[in-house]
Amino acid sequence: MKKVLISTALLAGVLTQAGAFRVSLQGVKQLAMAHTSAHAGDASVAFFNPAGMSFIPAKLSVAAGGFGAITNVTYQNPTTMQSFDTDNPIGTPFYAAVAYKVMDNVSVGFSFTTPYGSTIQWPEDWEGREIVQKLALKAMYFQPMVSVKLAPWASVGASYIYATGSVDWDKGLTLYNGTLNIKDEKAKGHGFGLGFYFQPDDKWDVSIAYRSPVNMKAENGVASFNVTPALYPLIGIDAAGQDNFKATLPLVEEYTIGATFKVTPKWKLSADMNYVGWEKYDRLTLDFENAPIGNQADPTVLTNIKDFHNTRNFRVGTEYMFTTKIAGRLGWYYDESPYEDGNFIPETPSFDAHAITGGIGLKFGSLGVDLAAAKTFPKSRVFNNQNINFAGQAKANSFYFGLGVNYNIN
Amino acid sequence: MKKIIISSLAASLLLFSYSCDTDFENDVNDVAVTSGSADFSKYVALGNSLTSGYRDNALYIDGQNESYPAIIAAQMKIAGGGEFKQPLMANNIGGFTNLFNPATGAFAGKYVLSVVNGSLSPAPTAPGGALDIITAGGPYQNMGIPGAKSFHLGAAGYGNAAGLSAGLSNPYFVRFASSGTTSVIQDAAAQAPTFFSLWIGNNDVLSYATSGGMGTDQTGNMNPATYGSNDITDPGVFASVINSYVTALTANGAKGVIANIPNVTTIPYFTRVPAKPLAGLSATQIAQLNGGYAQYNAGLLQAKNLGAINDAEYQSRLISFTTTGSNGAIIVDKDLTNLTGFGIPSYRQTTSEDLILLTASAVLNPTVGGGTSVPLEDRFVLTKKETAKAIAATTAYNAALKSIADSKGLAFVDANAKMAQLAQQSGISFNGVKYTATFVTGGTFSLDGVHLTGRGAALIGNEFIKAINNKFGSNLPMANVNSYSGVTFP
Repeated sequence: MKKVLISTALLAGVLTQAGAFRVSLQGVKQLAMAHTSAHAGDASVAFFNPAGMSFIPAKLSVAAGGFGAITNVTYQNPTTMQSFDTDNPIGTPFYAAVAYKVMDNVSVGFSFTTPYGSTIQWPEDWEGREIVQKLALKAMYFQPMVSVKLAPWASVGASYIYATGSVDWDKGLTLYNGTLNIKDEKAKGHGFGLGFYFQPDDKWDVSIAYRSPVNMKAENGVASFNVTPALYPLIGIDAAGQDNFKATLPLVEEYTIGATFKVTPKWKLSADMNYVGWEKYDRLTLDFENAPIGNQADPTVLTNIKDFHNTRNFRVGTEYMFTTKIAGRLGWYYDESPYEDGNFIPETPSFDAHAITGGIGLKFGSLGVDLAAAKTFPKSRVFNNQNINFAGQAKANSFYFGLGVNYNIN
Repeated sequence: MKKIIISSLAASLLLFSYSCDTDFENDVNDVAVTSGSADFSKYVALGNSLTSGYRDNALYIDGQNESYPAIIAAQMKIAGGGEFKQPLMANNIGGFTNLFNPATGAFAGKYVLSVVNGSLSPAPTAPGGALDIITAGGPYQNMGIPGAKSFHLGAAGYGNAAGLSAGLSNPYFVRFASSGTTSVIQDAAAQAPTFFSLWIGNNDVLSYATSGGMGTDQTGNMNPATYGSNDITDPGVFASVINSYVTALTANGAKGVIANIPNVTTIPYFTRVPAKPLAGLSATQIAQLNGGYAQYNAGLLQAKNLGAINDAEYQSRLISFTTTGSNGAIIVDKDLTNLTGFGIPSYRQTTSEDLILLTASAVLNPTVGGGTSVPLEDRFVLTKKETAKAIAATTAYNAALKSIADSKGLAFVDANAKMAQLAQQSGISFNGVKYTATFVTGGTFSLDGVHLTGRGAALIGNEFIKAINNKFGSNLPMANVNSYSGVTFP
């Protein structure tokens, strides 16, 4: 049974996380160990794998945490010899989860996370302002879930995902000497999560999880044109300078397989492989009601080619208990960018990146406090995106830190 | 254990800093900009309105500040270029009150867009001031003279105030000419430029085209003194004067760049109004028009039967309005066989091969007969025959310009190819913005449909920079086209 389940999951394709507007910051303890997933110490496992709830060593577990994400991107154009740095606000993703054993073999839980979100802010006068001046994307996942222990060493779990989100996108309209804001704060979507969690013996934890795609539908988007009113009739917008639009932003599916091995009772090693279905994000289409600012046969339809591809990411982390109260954690991961150089887009800049993570965990009885930090080393890119006629070079750096607490009660 | 972890972390960090290529291979902030084998310390630009920064049918300060030579000079400055002084107008409106002619609109102020009956339309403003003499502030490095033809640059007295009323001199050169007897080339050479740009010759064919072919093709006539203002210059005259300018400018070893001339068919002045401009005529109107021209068509048949015109001309002159699609406008075509002896005027309907001028949009109005019962005058249309003359001259000029550039070791800009690219629907893109030659909304042409906006000037300026870099091994940076100004909306 054990073997069959594992190999089925492996064959199915399998694995989760990262890249572009995806922020993989959902557990402080996990981040410290390269964001690996096979940790059932507290309720923060809920986002990674609902089945993990069955192995939390407590009847009730609560976990919450927050992060600071500092990212900076530099664009340079070797022909004009100009360079521009983003002025992004600090990102603050956070999470909260609760898991409760209603019966010995049945756990229920709830996870709240902000799994997608980024704000990119380029300088006013930067060369690519026609593509993006500022883009803020946010998504919140509300996930009720249940996990059932199939055997003392195996569990299965499932969750329903209700997602809400917002998009707020400023861009230049150079030919009209103006700017355009595209906004929807009520985008919605839903999906589900599925997972298996195993503890075949004292030394191993194995987590297999799938998170479905969520199509975030913006049904009542508003496009606000900041141009002279004399142009309103020409652009076909109302007296307030606005038009409506519809769009769907895919939040893609993820497969994750992770394992943790206890080398000694004090020393754990963890590894994850993620597979992210970015291929679904091949284009972003904005369908305006009246404004003929598109690029298709129907001039009110604006299609932005994205051509993302699926990515694989590798993660390795370790934890060492210096005392029963103090844990030290380290990790390394490699995130693959979901697009090639030729598809580089400045609204969601993305890079192949190595990252180093670390942190400490403190235990005060039932209360755990975790600190984590991560530094990425994104590989600089040379690109010429012919879809948007944008060429140049880009580099980035980012630093994350987090503080989390968990409370386990028996 | 702790030690192992810490030392492996340190080792990994070291490894990443070496292997991750997180930084740019060449940071643009560290690149040294050099002039190559050229010397930009004294750059002088010669040419016509395009060089001066003329736009929106006037020369005014904002346009001058975004002239393509000013854009080039700013980049040259990074590579040791000197001051680039322009003969700035006294105001930001342009025109000359003392030369203004309300009947022709000559020397009015710049065009501005306004909303008329719900749509945007350009209209001239009152001139901003009288002609100002600014010789004392010179010499000026931008010597672009609006209206100048190739042979004007070498003409002594072209800047003589006394010659203005007789039309012998040019007010824009009068403003800053060093004397009443000098020529543009003489004043330029006196500055001992180390580098020059020369983009001249557009007006040798453009004024013919913008007049709707009212002038004469002077090919074969080697004496420009006998030319009218709307005539096409003889290509031999053209080649010979350009050659003499380049010889004078390179006498002290100066290097330079010259550009060729765009075909008139690529600019909005000739492409804005469709060749078959009459759409949406009612069935009643069409019946009335066809009835009205029945007699004319019958007369043509008679003339053909009498052998006065051949069948091809007969067919081309038949007037017929249809309900399917757009209709050609009725025009007066002086190249048709003169049938006034039969009482038949020289009318025909435009075809897709005719170019209706931007100026015709004011008179093309079927409800009052413009283009239908009242034919468009010759000056509003550049016919296929006239266009062919303009293109033939342009081709000859461009061949001469290329051979002169090659023989004198100058950088060469194929402005014609660039303008043709702009006239395509795909246009030219710069960092996400698609520029085209579309009137008003294309972003590159100013409200006069002939001259470039700041963005258009930056696009063409970049072509000059590319040509200079290629020829002389310099690495001048390109201008950020999007940061210059386009059409100003009301």
